[in-house]
Amino acid sequence: MAEVKTELMTLNMGPVHPSTHGVLRFQLETDGEIIHQCVPDVGYLHRSIEKIAEGLEYFQFMPFTDRVDYVAAINANHGWAVTCERMAGHAVPERGELLRVISAELVRLASHLVAVGSNASDMGAVTPFLHALREREKVNDLIEELCGARLTHNYVRIGGVSHDAPKGWTDKVLRFCDGFLPAVDEFDRLITFNRIFRARLAKVAVISAADAMAYGLCGPNLRASGVDFDCRRDDPYGLYPELSFKVPVGQGRLGTRGDCWDRFWCRVQEMRECVGLVRQAVERLPRSGPEFWNEKKVFKAPAGEYYVRTESARGELGYYVVADGGKQPHRVKIRTGSFAAMSITEPLARGLMIADLVAIIGSLDIVAPEIDR
Amino acid sequence: MGAVADYFANIRDAVRTTLTGLKITSRHLWTQPPITVEYPDVDVEATLPARYRGFLVNEVEICTGCLACAKACPIDIIYIEVERDEATKERMLRRYDIDLGKCMYCGLCLEPCPTGSIHFTPRFEASTTNLGDLYHQFVERGPLPIYKNPKAPGGAADSEE
Repeated sequence: MAEVKTELMTLNMGPVHPSTHGVLRFQLETDGEIIHQCVPDVGYLHRSIEKIAEGLEYFQFMPFTDRVDYVAAINANHGWAVTCERMAGHAVPERGELLRVISAELVRLASHLVAVGSNASDMGAVTPFLHALREREKVNDLIEELCGARLTHNYVRIGGVSHDAPKGWTDKVLRFCDGFLPAVDEFDRLITFNRIFRARLAKVAVISAADAMAYGLCGPNLRASGVDFDCRRDDPYGLYPELSFKVPVGQGRLGTRGDCWDRFWCRVQEMRECVGLVRQAVERLPRSGPEFWNEKKVFKAPAGEYYVRTESARGELGYYVVADGGKQPHRVKIRTGSFAAMSITEPLARGLMIADLVAIIGSLDIVAPEIDR
Repeated sequence: MGAVADYFANIRDAVRTTLTGLKITSRHLWTQPPITVEYPDVDVEATLPARYRGFLVNEVEICTGCLACAKACPIDIIYIEVERDEATKERMLRRYDIDLGKCMYCGLCLEPCPTGSIHFTPRFEASTTNLGDLYHQFVERGPLPIYKNPKAPGGAADSEE
């Protein structure tokens, strides 16, 4: 058979392509539909947050952590607060810790809803995305009542939280939890076990456990590959050691462990676990008590280097802080889950179709400002 | 199972799971009330919770001019000028401006305020064709005497002497 002469074509995907979550750009070298090389081009949004931190006091950096991860802002807030508290050795009242757990788990759940919903929407299924957004809207309403904002919450403070829960709020949270689990079951019937959806995701872009570790993946992406690691359980902070929850790990239900469907399924399972955590925290919430470490003085961290990691919706969110003993950090470096996930797209996408790249981005749950910072 | 049986089993599976999804969708179509709000026709402001962070306002009548909000602001958008009246020797609030075009609505300025004069309102419709409209000046007719709260730290206590 005569050899067909083919030519590589450069294709720009993004930054305004709807399936490149947020603002990502991929420079693809393609041969027809097959990707030869995929070069991610990042840096379109919310840059130099780490540099801004050097000019601000510790408490003033809190609203900027919202912008690091705008889909799960309270998780990023929580990480920064835990970092500052570890540096200075402050304790937080139990009520404050529990309110943090409730809000952080609600937001993690909302973030996973966006992840699974947009993954389905990238695969061409619009209805599941609407169902996911409907549930996220309920979470947003709860959080809005708690702290006044829907996206950039800025709720957690160093030493506690900014507001106590309003009257009757916990009942609303419990009511939401009751209605949420049936909604997830319905979501499963709607899309998770849909044959076409499974065919698009199963056995695509398999990440082995060794690869996942080598590329520094974290969170649901790492757990889907079979590595059982969760910062909440294995490097505990806050009240998490006293709460019981399971960490879902990829089982390879559709043949291969660590494929796109496993990552999707891990997130769906984690949403169920979040509901359990919220319930436990609400039940433990004392009737009254301080929600804030109440000592009015300027926050100063002793000089030194600190690295504190917490579990965000997209995995390990670590703050590396060099403190010089003053009111401001000397240097801040943020380690985020999406950055590691972004680095693995290049080897993963090689040899796959363009449509599979969309599946990869969707299943890795990449949020653009986490990469740019 | 043979290849042919597999082929038909796959088709049957695909049709079955797709029909399940379609059934859920159509049930929602007939049984779910609409969850969207027809925004300009419905008064959304009235439904917002008390803590909603809309426009930032300062009630200059109870402002102590202590600069705590300006110091807490991470992006320095609160401009305050306090002067001493030559005749009455009273401290006067001459200027209190907030550049809402730059505001990130974080709410850090509210927390150190001793009198609660700076606060959010549920008003949120900020769209304008002129960016200058978002520069809000709260001291309109000449310098105001600042609020004297004996318990407040900072501003008011200084002016007592």
